[in-house]
Amino acid sequence: MSSLLLIFSPIVLSLFVYFITRNSGYAKYIALALFGWMLFESITLYMQLPQTGYMLLGEFLDVKAFDFKLVLQVDRLSVIMLLLTSVLLILVTLSSWSMKNQAAYFALLIFFSGAIFGVFMSTNFLWFFIFWELTLIPMYFLVGVWGAEGRVYAAIKFFLYTHVASMFILLAFFLIYKQSGTFDMTMIKEAVLVTPTLIWWLLFIGFAVKMPLFPFHTWLPDAHVQAPAPVSVLLAGVLLKMGAYAMIRMVILMLPLEAQKYAWVILILGLLSLLYAGFMALYETHVKKMVAYSSISHMGLVAIAISAMSFESLSAGVYEMIGHAFIISPLFLIAGFFHHKTGSWQMGDMGGIMQKSPYVSAIFVLAGLGALGLPATMGFIGELTILISSIERFGTWLIIILLGSMLSAAYLIWTFRRVIYGEMSELVMKTEFSMSKVEFLSLMIFAILIVLFGIYPQPLFDMINQVFSGYVIGGAL
Amino acid sequence: MSAFVVLFASALFSFAIRGVLIQKAFAFSALVVAGSLVILGYTTPLSGFGSNTIISFFELIVFIVFGAVVLSEDETINITQSLFIASASLLLLESKTILTFVISFEALSIISFILVSNIKNATQAEGALKMFISGAIATGLIVLGLSLYTIEGHSLNEAISMKAGLFGTLGLWIILVGLFYKLTIVPMHGWAADSYAQVRPSHAAVLSGVAKTVVVIALFYTFSPFILENLSFNSPIFLVLSVVTMTIGNVLALFQKKIGRILSYSSIAHAGYMLLPFAVLESSFASTGLLYMAIAYIFMQTALFLLLDKLSNGNSDMTLEQFKGLATKQKLSALFFTVQLFSLAGIPLLGGFISKAILVYAVVDVNLTVVALIVLLNSALSVGYYAWIIKHIYFDGVSGENKITQVAIMPLLAQTILLLGTLYFGIFAYSVFSVTI
Repeated sequence: MSSLLLIFSPIVLSLFVYFITRNSGYAKYIALALFGWMLFESITLYMQLPQTGYMLLGEFLDVKAFDFKLVLQVDRLSVIMLLLTSVLLILVTLSSWSMKNQAAYFALLIFFSGAIFGVFMSTNFLWFFIFWELTLIPMYFLVGVWGAEGRVYAAIKFFLYTHVASMFILLAFFLIYKQSGTFDMTMIKEAVLVTPTLIWWLLFIGFAVKMPLFPFHTWLPDAHVQAPAPVSVLLAGVLLKMGAYAMIRMVILMLPLEAQKYAWVILILGLLSLLYAGFMALYETHVKKMVAYSSISHMGLVAIAISAMSFESLSAGVYEMIGHAFIISPLFLIAGFFHHKTGSWQMGDMGGIMQKSPYVSAIFVLAGLGALGLPATMGFIGELTILISSIERFGTWLIIILLGSMLSAAYLIWTFRRVIYGEMSELVMKTEFSMSKVEFLSLMIFAILIVLFGIYPQPLFDMINQVFSGYVIGGAL
Repeated sequence: MSAFVVLFASALFSFAIRGVLIQKAFAFSALVVAGSLVILGYTTPLSGFGSNTIISFFELIVFIVFGAVVLSEDETINITQSLFIASASLLLLESKTILTFVISFEALSIISFILVSNIKNATQAEGALKMFISGAIATGLIVLGLSLYTIEGHSLNEAISMKAGLFGTLGLWIILVGLFYKLTIVPMHGWAADSYAQVRPSHAAVLSGVAKTVVVIALFYTFSPFILENLSFNSPIFLVLSVVTMTIGNVLALFQKKIGRILSYSSIAHAGYMLLPFAVLESSFASTGLLYMAIAYIFMQTALFLLLDKLSNGNSDMTLEQFKGLATKQKLSALFFTVQLFSLAGIPLLGGFISKAILVYAVVDVNLTVVALIVLLNSALSVGYYAWIIKHIYFDGVSGENKITQVAIMPLLAQTILLLGTLYFGIFAYSVFSVTI
C-alpha cells in the first residue's frame, strides 16, 4: 500500500499545494519533506530487495479482459533509478529555493515526483506508459511558465516531439500484447513474439527520442536552454535517464536477440551523438547550450555502453548515467546562475568570474573537469569503464571514443578560459554575484558526490553489478 | 421505457415552473428518478424498444451528464430542452427496430433544432440555420434510404435485415450517409464546424457532446449486424471515412483562432475516432472501445463547451487572445478547462487516454498496424492545438481586451461532476469492461 502512496500521494498533494499554500513559502518545505520521505522509502526498498529478480509491491485495479493492471514491482535497476531520482529531487528543491510563484512551481515538482516514481515502479506496460506520459505534463508547464524568452516554442516542441515518439512505444506495447497476450514486462519471452523486429524498432525509436540519440535530439537543446536551471537538472538528470532506463530494460534485456542483431545501430547513433554533440558544444558560445550539447554527448557514451550489451558495459552505462546526472546538473545550475546575474548567455560577455565569485566558479570548474573525464571524478570512472568494455566487445577501433573525450576537454577548457578565467569583462565587473546559502548547499552536495564516487566508486558498482547478475545477456557475457 | 415517461412528463411539466432554481431542482430530481428507474430495471414493455446492460449503463452516464448540464444552465428554457433531449436520447438508445430508430433519431434532431433556435444574435441565428438545413438534408436522405430499403420487402418493424439485397444495401448506406451528417463525418462535416462554433456554447455542449455520442452508440447497436454481414466490403469504407475525418479535423483545428471552432474541429476529429470500431467489428474490443470512447468523450466535450459558455457569458466568438491569462484570474476554471483539454488530447490518467488506447488496440487486434499508427500519430499531433490553448491559459499574461466572466458556484459544481467522470473513467477501467466483456 505504501508503494501506491509513493505514486499517488504526490499527485493528490500537488493539488493541495497549488490551491492551499498560495505562495506563502510553505510549498518548498512540503516538497522537501515529501522528497525526503521518498528517499527514505527508496532506501528501505533497497534494503528489502532480494538478491536477484523482482520484488512485488502490490497489484491494483485489475482489468482481466485487457490485462490492464497496476503492478508495482521493483528490481535493483529500478531502485537505483528511484534513489537517483529522489536525491536529485531534493537537490532540485534546494536549488529552486528562491523561485518565483512557488505554490504552482512546487506543486508541479511534486506531481512530477509521483509520475516518475510510477515509471520506475510499474511493470505493466500500460501503466508504465501512463506514468511515462504523465511526466510530460509538469515538464510542459515548468518549461512553459518559468522558462526564458523562447519558452513557449520550447515547451510545445518538447511536448509534441516526445509525445509523438511515445506513440511508437504504445504501438509496440499493443503489438506485444497482441502477440503474447500479456502486458507484464517481466513475462515477455522474445521467442513468443511474431514480429520482434518491428517491435524492437518501434521501441528503439520511441526511447531514442527521450534519451536522446542523434538525430532525434533536436528537442533537447531548446528545452534545456529555455527551462529554468533547476528544471534543466530534472530534464538531464531524470527525464533522459528514463529514456536510458527504458532502453536497457526493454530494448536490451527484453529483446536480447533483436538487440544483438541491431546493436550496431545503437553503437553508430551513440558515436554520432558523442561526436556531433561534442562538435556542436565546441562551436557554441551560448553557455547553457554548450552544457546541453555536452549532456547529449555524454548520453551518447551511455548508448555506446548499452550497445555493447555485456555485463561490464551495462554496469558502466548505469554508472555513467548516475555520473552524468551529478556532473551535468551543477553545470546547468551554475550556467543558469551566471545568466541570472549577468543577464547574458553569451560567453563573450563573461570572463573573469572567478575573481568575483570564486566558490561557485570552483564548482563549475570541478564539474567541468568531471565532464571531461579527469581522474578522481565520476566522469573518469564512467568513461574508462565504458571505453574498456566496449573495446572488448567491438574491437580496438572504438578507441575513437577518446576523440569524444578530447572534444569535451577542448570545449570545456575553452569555456573555462572564456567564462571563469581571463580578463574580467565590463559586464562581470558591474555584476554582483551572490548566491543564497541553500542554493550553494545543493551545489556543494553535487561537488562532494562527484569527487566521492570518483575516488571511491566501489559502493556504486556494488549496487550496479547486482543489477545485471540475474540476466543472461548476449555479447561478451 | 418508464424512465422515458418520467423524463418526458417532467419536461412537459417544467414549462409550468417559474424560477430557475426551482426548475433546476425539479429537473435534477427528474433525472435522479429516471436514473434509479434504469438502475432498478423497471421496463414497460413496448414493441420496438428494449434495453440491455450496456445501454442501461450508458443511459446512466447520459443522465449524469445532463445533471451537470442542468446545474450549469441558467435559463429556464434550456433546462426544459435538456430534459426533452434526455428523453429523446433514451428513446434512441433503446430503439430496436429500424423504424423506431429513425423516428427517435428525428425526434432528437427536431428537439435539438428547437434548442439552438433560442438565439441571442445574428451569429447564433446563422449557426442554427446551418444546422437546420443540414439536418433537413439528412432527414431527406434517411427517408430516401428507407424507401429503397423497403422496396425489397423488408419490414420496418424489425431489426435490420441481414439479407439485404442490392437495393436494401444501397438504402441502408444512404441512411448511414444521412446519419453521418449528424455524426459530422467528413465530407458531411462542413455544417458542424460552423454551427458548433456559432450557436451558444452551452447548446453546442449538448449537440456535440451528448447528442452525437448518443447517435453513435445507437447507430452501433442498430447497424452492426448489417455492417458485420458484409464486413470485407463495409470495413474499408468505414476505415477510410474514419481516418480522413480525424485527419481533416485535427489539421483544420490547428489553424483556428476561436476556441469554439477549435473545439468544433476537435469534435469532428473525435467523430473519426468513434467511427473506427465500425471498421474493426470482428475484434472483441470494438464495442468496448466505442462505449469507452463515447463515455470519455461525453464528459470532456460537454464540460469544455459548458465551461466556455460560462467564461464567455454565452458569447460564441471567444478568441484565443481573450483567453490569455485565465489561470491568473480564475485558477479553478483554468484547471478544469486544462484537464478536460488534456483528456481530449489523450493524456493518461484521464478518460480520453484509455478510451483511445482501447480503440487503437481494437485496430491492432485485427492486424491493421499501419492504420493504428496513423490514428496514434493523429492523436499525438492533436496535442499541438490543445497545448496551444493551454499556452494561452497559463503561459501568457492577462491581455488588455479580456472579457472573461467569473464562473459562478453552480457551474463549477457541474464541472466538478464532469471532471470526476473524466478522472474516474481514466483510472477505473474495469467499470466499463465489466459491462461489455
